[in-house]
Amino acid sequence: MKWYHHPETVDQLAAAYVLGTLAGPARRRFEAVLLKHPMARENVAEWQQRLQPLAESLPPVRPSPQVLQRIEQRAFGTSAATPAAAPSALMGWLQRLLSPVPAGALALGLLMGMLVPTLLPVAQDDTQLPQSYVGVLATADGKTGLIISSLRQGKVLDLKRVRPVAVPEGSTLYLWTIDAAGVAKPVGPAPTGDFASVALPKTSEEMFSTAAELALSIEPVGSQPAAPSGAYVYRGLCGKLWRLPKK
Amino acid sequence: MSEDSAQIGALLSRIALKDQKALTALYGATSSRLLAVADRMMRDRAAAEDVLQEVFVNLWNRAGQYPAVQSQPMAWLTAMVRNRAIDVLRRKRPEVPLQWQDADGEEHQHDVADESATPLEQLLAVESDQRLGECMQRLDAAPRQVVMLAYYEGLTHVDLAERLGHPLGTIKAWVRRSLLRLKDCMGGAQLA
Repeated sequence: MKWYHHPETVDQLAAAYVLGTLAGPARRRFEAVLLKHPMARENVAEWQQRLQPLAESLPPVRPSPQVLQRIEQRAFGTSAATPAAAPSALMGWLQRLLSPVPAGALALGLLMGMLVPTLLPVAQDDTQLPQSYVGVLATADGKTGLIISSLRQGKVLDLKRVRPVAVPEGSTLYLWTIDAAGVAKPVGPAPTGDFASVALPKTSEEMFSTAAELALSIEPVGSQPAAPSGAYVYRGLCGKLWRLPKK
Repeated sequence: MSEDSAQIGALLSRIALKDQKALTALYGATSSRLLAVADRMMRDRAAAEDVLQEVFVNLWNRAGQYPAVQSQPMAWLTAMVRNRAIDVLRRKRPEVPLQWQDADGEEHQHDVADESATPLEQLLAVESDQRLGECMQRLDAAPRQVVMLAYYEGLTHVDLAERLGHPLGTIKAWVRRSLLRLKDCMGGAQLA
C-alpha cells in the first residue's frame, strides 16, 4: 500500500505542506499527489482553514495603487481607464451584450454557442456585406421606390427612400411582411424621410425569416391594423443576404 | 459560510466567467489582508506586492481551472499567496543541506536570539476566531514559536533549525507534535 493511502500520513503531510515546512522535492511530490487524491486535497483545505486565523490576525497592509493597475494591464491587456477596448465594434457589442453576466457558465456557454456561429461567420462569409435582410421595393407603377435593410441579428431597420409617395395628413406608412403563402403580417409604422431608421421589437431574423416579400400600405396614425386597409404603395422581395445551406 | 466568504465566493464564480469587474472587486475586498500575509513572509513590500500581483493575474488566467466551489475562499486565497511567497523565497535562497555536525561529529550551535514571532496576543485578539489562539497558547513556548515562524515566514525545517539553533530532529518533532495537538485542541467542530 502506498503511503498516500494512509489517512494519518496524508494528514500529517497536508499539515506540513500548509504550514510550509514541507520542502524541496517532498513539497513537489505532495503537490503531484494532491492533483490525484481528493482526500488529500480535503486535508489540505482543512489545514488551510485551521491555520487561517494566523493570517487574519495580521494588520491589513494596503497595496500601492500601481499594483491593481499592473494586474489589470496583465490580466485584461488594458489599463483600467479603457476597460472595454475591444478589437472590433462587433466584439465590443458582444462584450456589452454579455456584460450582465448570466447566472451560470452553462447559460454563458449556451449563449456563446448560439451567438458565435451566427455572428462570427460574418468575416468568413463569401459576401462582402454582413448577413442582412434586404428588400428593394417598387412603387405601384413599378419603379424602384424604397430600399430596406437590416442586419440579420440586428434590431434596427434602415429605410432609404428612392421615390416618395404621398402620405396624407394623419396617416403613416405601415410595414408588412408577406409570407410565401401571400399572408400579410403587420410589423409597424414606418417613418418617412429620404433616409430613416426604426427600432425593431425583435431581431430581423425573428421578424423576417419567413418573409418572402415586404410591403408598405398607408394607415391612420396610431392604428394597429391586422390587415392592410388599402393597396400597397411599396412592395418587393425580401432577400436574405447570406449563403443558404444547399438543400 | 460567513457573509465575507459568500461575497468572495460569488466574486470567484464571476471571475470564472471572465467578469473583469469581479476581479477588481475581489482585489478591493481582499488585497489588504492578502498583502499583510505576503509582506510578513517576504519582509519586503515590493516583493510582497509582486506576489500579490502574480496571484491575481493567475487567478484570472486560470480561472476556469480552479474548483468551482471553495467553502473557505479566503483561506484558499491566503494559501495561494503563501504558496507563491514560499516558491519565491525558496527560489531566491536555494536549499542547502545543513551541516549540523562537523568532521569531528561535533554539533554546531547557532547562537540566534530568541526572536519572537508575531505576538500571540495579536492572534488572541482576533475576536472572530479565538480558538486557534487558545490552542496555540497551550503549546510550549518553543514549539509554538516554531509553528508561527513556519507559517509567517515560510521557513522549512532546515531553516527553522538554523534560525533557532536546535537540531533538525527536534524541530521536526516539535512541528509534527504541535500540529497534532492543534488539531486535537481545535476539534472537528471548527471545520463544520
